Amino acid sequence: MNKVLCSVATRGRYHTTLPLVLNAIINQTRLPDKLVIFDDNDEPKDMRQEMIYQYFFQMLDIKKIPWEWVYAEKKGQHHIHQKANEMGFDWVWRVDDDAIPEPDVLGNLLGYTTIEKVGAIGGSILTPPLKFDTSKSTGKVSDIDKEPNIQWNYIKQSKEVEHLHCSFLYRAGVHDYNLGLSRVAHREETLFTYGLYLKGYKIIVAPHAITWHFKNPEGGIRSESKQELYSHDEAIFRNTIGFSDSTIVVLNAGAGDHIVFSHILPEISNPVIFTCYPEIVAGKSIAEANALFGDLDQYNIYKKMTQWNWKGSLEDAYRKLYL
Amino acid sequence: MIIIAPFAKSLINNKRNPKNYPYWDKLIKLTHEKIVQVGVEGEEQLVYDFKKDLSISELRKLIAECRIWIGCDSFFQHLAWDCGKPGIVLWSVSDPLIYGHPENTNLLKSRDYLANNQFLWWDFTEYNADAFVKPEEVIKYL
Repeated sequence: MNKVLCSVATRGRYHTTLPLVLNAIINQTRLPDKLVIFDDNDEPKDMRQEMIYQYFFQMLDIKKIPWEWVYAEKKGQHHIHQKANEMGFDWVWRVDDDAIPEPDVLGNLLGYTTIEKVGAIGGSILTPPLKFDTSKSTGKVSDIDKEPNIQWNYIKQSKEVEHLHCSFLYRAGVHDYNLGLSRVAHREETLFTYGLYLKGYKIIVAPHAITWHFKNPEGGIRSESKQELYSHDEAIFRNTIGFSDSTIVVLNAGAGDHIVFSHILPEISNPVIFTCYPEIVAGKSIAEANALFGDLDQYNIYKKMTQWNWKGSLEDAYRKLYL
Repeated sequence: MIIIAPFAKSLINNKRNPKNYPYWDKLIKLTHEKIVQVGVEGEEQLVYDFKKDLSISELRKLIAECRIWIGCDSFFQHLAWDCGKPGIVLWSVSDPLIYGHPENTNLLKSRDYLANNQFLWWDFTEYNADAFVKPEEVIKYL
């Protein structure tokens, strides 16, 4: 158990911070069970021709860490992270291509995975000079506009929060990234970790797990300047947190599925329903759900049953999705 | 009175839905009781009394009046289950453990005929008449 995939999404940083990140991963005290690098460059290269990378790949082989270099689809890092999320590992350690972990980060983060129903664990993400006083940060989504992120300074003791930032370890396959975000994927990690939190998983910040974030104005997976893309993603984020006291239900399925779902509806707390058949299950339209949340795949019961290799009843599948 | 709901939703590629029972004519001949067929416009009429495009409330009322119903894996089997009226479901490629209800008589010839992937559109599954139980078997449960 506890098989860990380390996933790095990269763009425009072949010769700046990416080598530092790969070196740091290869030199972890607890090595990942696999390393996958998703290359989202506009003009991807075969890095096996580069001397430094040749050494990295040989070090990975010597340390018996399976590795894969994947040319990504240029849709943004949320699509990349979702691919990693579905690669069949127990945990995914996502590391940004300008975030350099100290050698004990993975080992220390993994120490928290024995806590019951933990969904994600993050450490400090430090950018010199340290400008933020995070001593009063709560890590709650409701305070996101009022406080610096709790990960932006040393974390003195472990604490349950509601969302994480940048690089962290998460339980794979239990929550999807929102693929309705634009290519810049603004707020993608906040939406993802907050989604885990809303599903009842613990989100933890941990001490002694320090990653140095070399914020680099050049390159980067979010290197887009179109303000409308950020506005689009921000709207999805605000809409999602606006429903945080409710259970969002999207019934984008057949009439019979609606009937089966109706049998678990009384068990759902404070549901807000979007429906294809309002005469069976009353609610707002699917078009409205699309406009609010961007991506509805996370509510697709057939996609979920496929992901889960489901053998039980449709009613129990709905129960797993919404309860 | 017996209700029959013979057909699942038509497929986008216009192929025969692999969930549709192939032996209705014979099954109807073996049934010595008044039969009402329910379905939608465009479906083949199998008995004299064919009620098309009923609303959900009209269907519920009709289900309440019937002695039993026979159908395939379609919307109707879920609606009748919701009404608390047990019936007979004639299965082939879809899995009654996933899509069925234990309150019904679920007649599946063999699990060997179930589609490998239960969660794709049925357009991608070939029709196979051999996958269904024969009418003589169904009659035993009426």
